[in-house]
Amino acid sequence: MSEAIGFRNVRKSFRRRGGELPVIDGADFALARGEFVSVLGPSGCGKSTLLNMAAGFETADSGEVLAGGAPVTGPDHTRGVVFQQYAVFPWLTVADNIAFGLRLAACGIPRDRHAAIVERYIGLMGLRGFENAYPKELSGGMRQRVAIARAYAPGPELLLMDEPFAALDAQTRESMQELLHDIQLTERRTVMLITHSVEEALFLSHRVVVMTPRPSRVSEIVPVGIPFPRTPETRLSPEFIGLRRRLEELLRGLSAAQASTPKEGRAA
Amino acid sequence: MTTVTAPPAEAPPRRGAPEWPARLGYGTAGFALLVAGWYGAYLLGLVADGLLPRPDEVAVAAWRRLTGQGLLTDLRISVTRVVIGVALGSALAVPAGFLLAWYRPVRLMFGPLVGFFRALPPIALVPLVIVYFGIGETARISILAYAAFFVSVVVVHEGVASIEPIYIKAARSLGATEPEVFRRCVLPLVVPQFLVAVRVALGVSWATLVAAELVAAHRGLGAVIQNAGDFMRVPDVYVGIVLIGAVALVMDQLLKAAMGRATRWQERTGG
Repeated sequence: MSEAIGFRNVRKSFRRRGGELPVIDGADFALARGEFVSVLGPSGCGKSTLLNMAAGFETADSGEVLAGGAPVTGPDHTRGVVFQQYAVFPWLTVADNIAFGLRLAACGIPRDRHAAIVERYIGLMGLRGFENAYPKELSGGMRQRVAIARAYAPGPELLLMDEPFAALDAQTRESMQELLHDIQLTERRTVMLITHSVEEALFLSHRVVVMTPRPSRVSEIVPVGIPFPRTPETRLSPEFIGLRRRLEELLRGLSAAQASTPKEGRAA
Repeated sequence: MTTVTAPPAEAPPRRGAPEWPARLGYGTAGFALLVAGWYGAYLLGLVADGLLPRPDEVAVAAWRRLTGQGLLTDLRISVTRVVIGVALGSALAVPAGFLLAWYRPVRLMFGPLVGFFRALPPIALVPLVIVYFGIGETARISILAYAAFFVSVVVVHEGVASIEPIYIKAARSLGATEPEVFRRCVLPLVVPQFLVAVRVALGVSWATLVAAELVAAHRGLGAVIQNAGDFMRVPDVYVGIVLIGAVALVMDQLLKAAMGRATRWQERTGG
């Protein structure tokens, strides 16, 4: 399997008053084409920084971020992003939001196919009847469906999702996870999902990358051996619960280690 | 959560936002109060006799000037000057405000200059403009364009600067180039602010125009006021004043209507 996105010993610090704040201290992993991988870690560990580097919004201090083998130099249409905040365009209707990427010069999909593509994602995301609604008329969950549809529509090879359901209530969250799961069954794109929810990571992913606290590195990469399609019952299976317990313990251990380490004490 | 198939209901009219008949009624009542107060001031003799005309005297004077002395021509001339001046000034303010907000070096270099020129009242430039442009239409319109530009550029700059970066990031992640970001995100997001800028610029331009016409013009509403004043025809002065207010009000209402249309997507409070 070829590689969709790869991090090669990536390091990244942020400048703060009074010095550098190391955020990523050696990220080294890759996503194969068609793979769904979640990145899990304690809050503030730099998960979103990884995503921003993959998207091209930020650059690594050292190491390499490779998309399809080529270094990432900036954002482009081959890597779609779904943001945590509601980033749907408030001045466009649902249909125009979804068509936004299609209408850009970079996309290259002929104009006469746009309407059919928009229509398809309206259907897949359960947005029928809302084509002409403005985002202000939609609930948080609906807006996030629009954001996901907008990211899928121009056909990027890789989708980067930055805690897309974090702002939603628990019920909406679960149904959105199932929606994303179903879309992936037919679309099979490569997805890198940033999340702090163990359950979300397990339910959707082929593999889960667990990060240590800041300055963070990969602690462990856990394969989720549960076959697709998964169902709401999957969440109750012994296999799922066992993995969930294991990951939660792993995260707890990482947080405890962080709490007991003095702030400046970086292991050499 | 269920998948909803029904289209969203039409948004119900907001409480406290009267529909247009009520709106018109309230507005008329406000002016009726003003006229009543005017008669009151006249009858009570609050102003020395002969210096405050009755509203009906003003109406008669307006009719006389309309039919016999080309008041409509004065009106047309003033409106044309304001419209051209504001159109020029605020159209130039859009790219300028964008450049100021978008590019730090531009902002650092020209921001203070804008502040400098903005502080100069356009009226203060009238003598200079007369020196350079004479007293023709170019002179008057350039003063108005100047006034409109410096009012608008600040509003457009602020509008562009306050755009949420998340929208720009989202557009870039979809493959938008810099010109596409400008055309497809910045412009639509700035339209509401731009219309605010035009409203404010219109107000400033009317004030400036009348002052400019008071000084150097034969026609126009400012000239009407000045000429009437020279001959102590107080009702005619009031005709000019009322007409300026009325025209400015109509223009503002038209712009507000345009704004309502252009900002349907926005959530807003207070109509």
